[in-house]
Amino acid sequence: MIKEKLKILVEMEPKKMIIYPLIVFGIALIIILANYITTGSIVKEGIELQGGSVITLQGVTADPDTIAEKIREETGINVNVERFTSVTGGGGIRVYIPAGENVDKVREALKQLFPNVEPQTTVIGPTFGRMVKEQGIKAITYAFIGMAIVVFLFFRVPVPSLTVVFSAFSDMVIAIALMDIFGIELSQATIAALLMLIGYSVDSNILLTTRLLKRKEFTVEEAYYSSLKTGFTMSTTTLGALASLWLFSTAQVIDDIASVLIFGLLADFMNTWILNAGVLRLYITKREGKK
Amino acid sequence: MKWKKILLNGRVILLIFFLMISIISLATRGLTFGLDISGGISITVKLEKPVDPQTMEQVRIALDQRLNALGVKDITIEPWGNQFVIIKVARVSEEEADQLVKTIERQGVFYAEFEGVIFATGKDILNVGSVSYDPRQSAWVVPFRLSKEAAEKFAELARGKAGYPVDMFLDPPVNSTLVVSKEFYNALTSSEFMMAGNMTLAERIEKAFNIKILVYNNQTAEEIAEVAKNSERVILVDVNSDLAKELKALGLSVEIRTREKDETMDEFVRRVLRLYGPYKVGSGLATGQPQTEVMISIGGSQNDVRARNDAQIVAVVLRSGSLPVKLSIERIDYISPKLGENFKQQVLIAGIAALLVVGAIVYLHYRRFKIAIPVMFTSFSEVLIILGIASMIRWNLDLPSIAGIIAAIGTGVDQQIVITDELLGEVGGVKRRSVKRSGVLKRMGRAFFIILASATTTIVAMSFLFKFFVGGLRGFAFTTILGVLVGILITRPAYGEIAKVLIGERR
Repeated sequence: MIKEKLKILVEMEPKKMIIYPLIVFGIALIIILANYITTGSIVKEGIELQGGSVITLQGVTADPDTIAEKIREETGINVNVERFTSVTGGGGIRVYIPAGENVDKVREALKQLFPNVEPQTTVIGPTFGRMVKEQGIKAITYAFIGMAIVVFLFFRVPVPSLTVVFSAFSDMVIAIALMDIFGIELSQATIAALLMLIGYSVDSNILLTTRLLKRKEFTVEEAYYSSLKTGFTMSTTTLGALASLWLFSTAQVIDDIASVLIFGLLADFMNTWILNAGVLRLYITKREGKK
Repeated sequence: MKWKKILLNGRVILLIFFLMISIISLATRGLTFGLDISGGISITVKLEKPVDPQTMEQVRIALDQRLNALGVKDITIEPWGNQFVIIKVARVSEEEADQLVKTIERQGVFYAEFEGVIFATGKDILNVGSVSYDPRQSAWVVPFRLSKEAAEKFAELARGKAGYPVDMFLDPPVNSTLVVSKEFYNALTSSEFMMAGNMTLAERIEKAFNIKILVYNNQTAEEIAEVAKNSERVILVDVNSDLAKELKALGLSVEIRTREKDETMDEFVRRVLRLYGPYKVGSGLATGQPQTEVMISIGGSQNDVRARNDAQIVAVVLRSGSLPVKLSIERIDYISPKLGENFKQQVLIAGIAALLVVGAIVYLHYRRFKIAIPVMFTSFSEVLIILGIASMIRWNLDLPSIAGIIAAIGTGVDQQIVITDELLGEVGGVKRRSVKRSGVLKRMGRAFFIILASATTTIVAMSFLFKFFVGGLRGFAFTTILGVLVGILITRPAYGEIAKVLIGERR
């Protein structure tokens, strides 16, 4: 059983437990930094933040490069075409048009190529994009501070609270690094997902902290192992639900939210059950040593 | 025995009560779907500057009237904050959607001008009739009523000047200096815009709007700045734009207009000046008698779609002079109704799949239907209650809202697992089930402490999203918060009770 394998973690040195997640956190920071140096932003910004337009055609299976080429010939506009699919057989293409170009022309050209397909169009002005970005940063910052305050109010002990806050931060950093790697863009949907991550991340951390600090009838190892199993069940069910969302839908909003949450949950599993658990075990040993 | 114990519990009764209300509401009122599912267009409009609630209401009414004039049904106009307005129209065709966008784009401050004299502004247009075809003139006509003052002023100005041009402007570049190419200048002074009058268009706009026109022939930035001294801004029209930087360096406000590939010079002139017309003064208006009932006619046959559209635009322009602030379109989302239907199905499948997957995983973990089935039942009830509440308050379910519901179910299942594991109290592989009742209560207390703490953080995080976002993600925040609340107040306590009976006290 997989759950038996989790025992490896129980037997691990707490100090070692802290090091591995920190290494991952460091690598994630390096990826983000590298992305920042090469592209000028920590994560690729989608049209929702940059401004521009996207036309989605469902049910079209043509080759993206050929379509891009045809549109270029016809309209002189440099478009970017992408294909997407879902397990239910749905799928289609998305045509990205840079800000300031004539969307109607591209739409006309697409209509001639695919007369029977009904398009979905989104046009976003650059100033609106800037505003969305500012609001997104604001929302994430405030939510993070709000979360930190709630955590401190619930636990009222600095070390465990700080670890919870740090691991939520690390979850977001790792999720952003994975977005860089998989080319998922920052959009309204992914900003929402990053916010949602704060909630999910705190969930499991609170469980662990509560169990370890308050369940005094058992040893730390016993309490840790039992919460680890609970946490494992929690993560797998949530991952299952998100994976079904991601698999069955072709709507970009849903796909984006699902994938960022999946990244974050994977990071969270490590940060909660290895990093935070390591810190807490050290903390408890020290505290008991003093008594 | 056990069933009775479960059913006669206050918390379970509360859950059943809410379930019934939700089912009734869903059956009678149904669900309303967002535009990304039902199809339609959503247009986010930004006001030039933040406004007070009264002005916002005026904007809303003005927009409503103008858009309704197009004959499209089901328009909702939601002010958002003090600077944004979101316009949503369900189930429109692409053509209708385009018209709506164009109508919103064509707005601003209206002026009617004759021989360099402004005789009417937006507030002088008292009423605009509907566009119709007049077979006697073989033209599409837009009738409207002018204020008495404007009519008198015009009668005075236009006496004996039949065939002279009347210009209408919407947001002309008032108090500016235009630096234009030779070609553009030629068009401005051409007979096309002069008609039977004795003033060129260039002269008329200079007199009426203090627009200075400077033909560009390699003047230095300093020379241009000297001319533009008293202008609010400099607009470079159809000229090499390296100048822009130099002019900006001199502290001027500079804008650039370039001609599009397939745009004729006349169209370009109209676009730069935001000019509609000019329209010829008919002989009936040149008698010196003030007339308040006037009309603009646009020649063309009854089947001439272009002429009809032009007439529609004129009507909209005349009506839109009443908007108190300028608007700009910031975001357009259009989705065809057919496509939305597809999404609805996908989401339904995804939702059912998510529920089944969760059930299967829970079963694999515990190997007991006694746990898997209540967990699934609770999650399913949660979805039903969230949808029930959504239907009661007529919340528009859009895709982000649905993602929010599924996210809430995710945390919901997590918390049920916390409750279950606390009750099972498995440690070190040896099952030490709580022996004393006080033990069960203590464990439940701990589980609910965890649940409360995480629910609080989720609600705090999502409140910021709900408060700060203009876009469609409010739906995500709303359903997540709703889901968490339904969870901690209704479904989780009920699950706790059910689980207590099924797991905790069975020995």
